[in-house]
Amino acid sequence: MSRQPEHNAPSTRPPSHAAERLGLDRRRFLAAASGALGTLALAACDSMGPRSAKRILMLAESGNETIERVLFHHSAMDVPRASAKAAGSHFPAYFVSDTVPIWDESLNGVWRLEVGGLVRQPLTLSLSDLAGLPRTGYKLDHFCVEGWTAVATRTGVRLADLAKLAGVQPGARYVDFQSFDSDYHESWDIESAMHPQTLIVYAQDGHYLNAAWGAPARVYSPVKLGYKNTKYLTRIMFLPERNGGYWSDRGYEWYGGV
Amino acid sequence: MKRHHAVVRITHWVNVIALTIMVGSGLRIFNAYPAFARRGETFCCYPFEHRAIPANLTFGGWLAGARNWHFAMMWVLGINGLVYLAFIYLHGEWRDLVPRRGIVRDAWEMVKFYLTVRKDHPRQGKHNALQRLAYFAMPIVGIMAVVTGIAIWKPVQLAWLTNLMGGYVWARYWHFWAMLLLVILTVGHIFMVFTVDPYSIPSIITGKYRPELSPEARNARPLVHLLPPRHEPPAGA
Repeated sequence: MSRQPEHNAPSTRPPSHAAERLGLDRRRFLAAASGALGTLALAACDSMGPRSAKRILMLAESGNETIERVLFHHSAMDVPRASAKAAGSHFPAYFVSDTVPIWDESLNGVWRLEVGGLVRQPLTLSLSDLAGLPRTGYKLDHFCVEGWTAVATRTGVRLADLAKLAGVQPGARYVDFQSFDSDYHESWDIESAMHPQTLIVYAQDGHYLNAAWGAPARVYSPVKLGYKNTKYLTRIMFLPERNGGYWSDRGYEWYGGV
Repeated sequence: MKRHHAVVRITHWVNVIALTIMVGSGLRIFNAYPAFARRGETFCCYPFEHRAIPANLTFGGWLAGARNWHFAMMWVLGINGLVYLAFIYLHGEWRDLVPRRGIVRDAWEMVKFYLTVRKDHPRQGKHNALQRLAYFAMPIVGIMAVVTGIAIWKPVQLAWLTNLMGGYVWARYWHFWAMLLLVILTVGHIFMVFTVDPYSIPSIITGKYRPELSPEARNARPLVHLLPPRHEPPAGA
């Protein structure tokens, strides 16, 4: 749009009213501004974004996984801040079943943890078997995908120790952690699973796990986001391929590294 | 002569898109736990703990959707920022942006002019002193956003970085502040463009700029002297 007439012929017109002059520009300003805001509103409004972007997002996720795997080192250990208070009873409870999953001995017999898949010696461990194995405990941060953190002391058996016991075969590149919390499970890359702080936890803050925190045993590692750390464990399967997971299949990153 | 080089114009608009999505998806992620306190603790320095950001200011639909957008768009934001910084360094535009000696005094003169304490627009080069400060701050806060973002992405693998910021809780807090500063700078920028120098809009699209319509030529402050000057000098100048 040309603004020349106004600019060239000021003397032929009576001096325009200041408000009128402003009004003209304000109209233009409002039109432009509402256009810009409209674009932003279109982009925002709590939408999930265009469907066509999904492939690009998945590409970015696999690219990020590659970078995260390069960054990953067993020597990188989680050490909570000295000033950090343990969450204690404020530690959130979380499960996907309608009610707290509790192992029903009368229905399922005594709880046992199976270690299987690509192993030379499959294991079946009762809670006292687990407690009898070399014990490792750490005060650890918990990093939830939601953004909160909580500190707790986790005690259990290093998964690397269990893997040695079971004789994991070289073809095992992934580990699937399965549970009795409905169909909850999450599979990991073996490198994260063999991190020294990846534990099969049966005690938290010095007490055997209670039902809300994943009893009788759960996997816990600070190198993975909370949702990757399956509670209410039943089986640990060493696999040649990744096996998705409850939340990974629903749109959360499969890798979920910290 | 174009006011803004094509590289500056393109990176500007890529930044608009990337930053909008990063802020929107970041706020959606924040809403999953709209607080900073570690579980079982309280947090000193955020007055709105556990109060969610209005959903229509967020993007991504749900936590996983927002995270997927955030972790994809971060590359666009980061690479675009590097291209921009490399270009203004190599091409010399940084000279129009880094603070010069006397910037504080010059900025104060601009403030006085905007508050009508001072009648005539201070003389300026490509940008006035307030613009220089804002455009210089923008990439610095952007870098702060990226670095704090990496710190909360990898608080174990890159624990040294997270610890540098006072740990995960504080890194998350600084990341939030970086976002807030970017939003404040952006809102201020958009307000000033529309109320002081709407004629500069073509210069960031096609590069074309008419110096005779510059705020200095019009003696323009927010919403004042928006129209081009008459041939005779305005009364009182």
